[in-house]
Amino acid sequence: MKRVVIIKYGELSTKSDNINFFLKTLKNNIDKKLEGLSYEIRYDHGRMIIFTEEVEKIKNKLQEVFGIHEICDGYLYEDRSLESIKENVLSLLNNEPFSSFKITVKRSDKSYPGTSISLASDIGAYILKNIPNITVDVNNPDVNVIVEIRLNEVLIYAGGIPGLGGYPVSTLGKGLLMLSGGIDSPVAGYLAIKRGVKIEAVYFDSPPHTSPMALKKVEDLARVLAKYNSGEVKIHVINFTKIQEEIIKNIPKYYLITMMRRMMYKISALICGSINAHAIINGESIGQVASQTLKSMQVINEAIKMPVLRPVCTYDKLEIIELSKKIGTYDISIRPYEDCCTIFVPDHPVIHPDINLAHEYETLVDFDTLVYEAIKNQNILHIKDTEENNFRDLL
Amino acid sequence: MIYLDYSATTPISLDVLDAMNRTYKEYIGNPNSINALGIKSNELLHSAIKQIADLFNILESEITFTSSSTESNNLAIIGVAMKYYKKGKHIIVSRLEHPSVYSICDYLKTIGFEIDYVNNDKEGLIDFEHLRSLIRSDTILVSICAVNSEIGIRQPLKMIRQIIKKVNSFTIFHSDMTQAVGKTTISLHDVDLASISSHKIYGPKGIAMLYKASDIKVTPLIYGSGKSNELKPGTPPLPLIVGFSKALRLANEDLEKKEKYIYLLNERICDRLMKYPNVLINKTRYSVPHILNISIMDVMPETFIHALDKEEVYLSTNTACSSGDISKAIIAVYGDQKRAKHTIRISLSSMTTTKEVTKFLELFDKCYASLKVLVK
Repeated sequence: MKRVVIIKYGELSTKSDNINFFLKTLKNNIDKKLEGLSYEIRYDHGRMIIFTEEVEKIKNKLQEVFGIHEICDGYLYEDRSLESIKENVLSLLNNEPFSSFKITVKRSDKSYPGTSISLASDIGAYILKNIPNITVDVNNPDVNVIVEIRLNEVLIYAGGIPGLGGYPVSTLGKGLLMLSGGIDSPVAGYLAIKRGVKIEAVYFDSPPHTSPMALKKVEDLARVLAKYNSGEVKIHVINFTKIQEEIIKNIPKYYLITMMRRMMYKISALICGSINAHAIINGESIGQVASQTLKSMQVINEAIKMPVLRPVCTYDKLEIIELSKKIGTYDISIRPYEDCCTIFVPDHPVIHPDINLAHEYETLVDFDTLVYEAIKNQNILHIKDTEENNFRDLL
Repeated sequence: MIYLDYSATTPISLDVLDAMNRTYKEYIGNPNSINALGIKSNELLHSAIKQIADLFNILESEITFTSSSTESNNLAIIGVAMKYYKKGKHIIVSRLEHPSVYSICDYLKTIGFEIDYVNNDKEGLIDFEHLRSLIRSDTILVSICAVNSEIGIRQPLKMIRQIIKKVNSFTIFHSDMTQAVGKTTISLHDVDLASISSHKIYGPKGIAMLYKASDIKVTPLIYGSGKSNELKPGTPPLPLIVGFSKALRLANEDLEKKEKYIYLLNERICDRLMKYPNVLINKTRYSVPHILNISIMDVMPETFIHALDKEEVYLSTNTACSSGDISKAIIAVYGDQKRAKHTIRISLSSMTTTKEVTKFLELFDKCYASLKVLVK
């Protein structure tokens, strides 16, 4: 008897020509996630079987891997006799409290005597006889036991837990997340990762106007995202102070946010070019603030030619909060440190900016040089999913 | 010197002391200050808290530091009483609690709360049927210690929780885990509130914590800015927290191995002491190995302690916190007044050596022989 964890893919099964690339990437991602544990992965028809004794640990970790639809744990037996199948199903069910069950038999070895239906009812009858106070329910059972009779072995497992779904990270290219420290951008990053995009992040630091704790907060957010992003998120930390101060000094205040955002987009697009990323991702949500009206988005977006993905643009704030709590970024996001977008906010920022005016204001400062300087001086942080304890010697 | 009073307090671990010294010298900033020194202290503070949260598999926000387990017990019991008195004024505690729990209950009685005491069986285990019958719709809290401090009875908290929640899902479950954490494996998820101390596990004195599950609310007993923690406002004592966090980590390392070793020491002492007809071993199958309680029926325990003091062997009568009283726990388990008046607690540690045990048994024999002749 061997303990196994079975991984089922969801949307992946729709890929035909490049399915192998998707599976290989998924396996790589799983290997990275399970580093340090002992297990062995075998490809099976339309799924993977992981042989391991560390079932619970592995199940927990797999729940942070995109591209998995369902995770089941079960047993693989060499003895294919009906008697031992019955015993093994019984011992599996004895571990769990339940009131109704269903047995599904699949015979990939068609020469095995009996039909799938007759075998299921045979096994079911045996279970009913041996566990008191339970019933069969084929429509909505508490436990669904699946018995797969294969050529040399029998696989027995019960209904599993849902995986995260989505595509394996890295199968759909790279994107650059504008990570601010607020609630929305980490959620946007998570949703992009879900669709197979490997992310790096850009953070606009504005010392001394922003606190070092604000950067620390972004690092902590990136650490949560790293769990899903195959173990690491790179943060491109851009010193934005000079650009911000020049805008404040030279450009009418109500265009501050528009011009700042245009510069952030320009810098992000240039970083994308240097890291071979094909899209910018951010947490903009229609109408949430002045820079996120459709008109503002249009004028800001006009600064670059790169596609900008806004995964949460149609979400209500409460929906974003709910998701941020689920993925574990909410408590970090609400720490009270301001980022560079929230300081110097004018009382009445423009909500319908004019593109021509934006172009005109852009000539008032030598932005090209400032942008070049900012990119040249960027600091890249490699944030791993496991927190480095800087105080190990003390604690 | 032979120290056998580890359940009263423990000597601080030198590694812990060293970490605290460095924190006092190198992390001078207030963790609530926004300057660079404050930020540095704040990072250390959060790492220390996170280490504790990870050890217990709980959230950082579920930890409140206090000055002692007694304070944690106060915050838990009075905090729940003040928060939920409109829902009910009925509280249940066991007969095996630390004296501080009874003092708190005595106070609550004076302001209109009703306290019931749940019985235990002959082995010291909570009487589940009695507990079930005591829980009412207005029972707001049950407080039962994880390990009793005098005879070391360990309670099955998970099962007790199931019983409580089945009868009244609202009733909150608190456990004083002072004698359990760092000495035996324990899960905080079995309870809603737990008191945990530092100085019982080779950490600094003057710090303890209260675990409060995030879905439970308690009313604070003191008020301040609440910047760090609304239940315990005030500047966090960073060196103490660092020391506590480190002590918890060290105490939980190889816990099972240490427990097994202490079990062997305990057996060895019992085997020998059982040979004295007038020495009774107060131990049931639910007693943890690091607490060994005996009653010497023909010698007064204080006299015996002082005689051993002269030989540089240090132990307690019942608990350090109730010295001089007769043992409530012995009454609860054995129902025997004389036995309760004659208790001595030997508490062991993984630091106790077999050589110390041998020497202790020799000195025990010597003191006992010289004292019991005086009784006749």
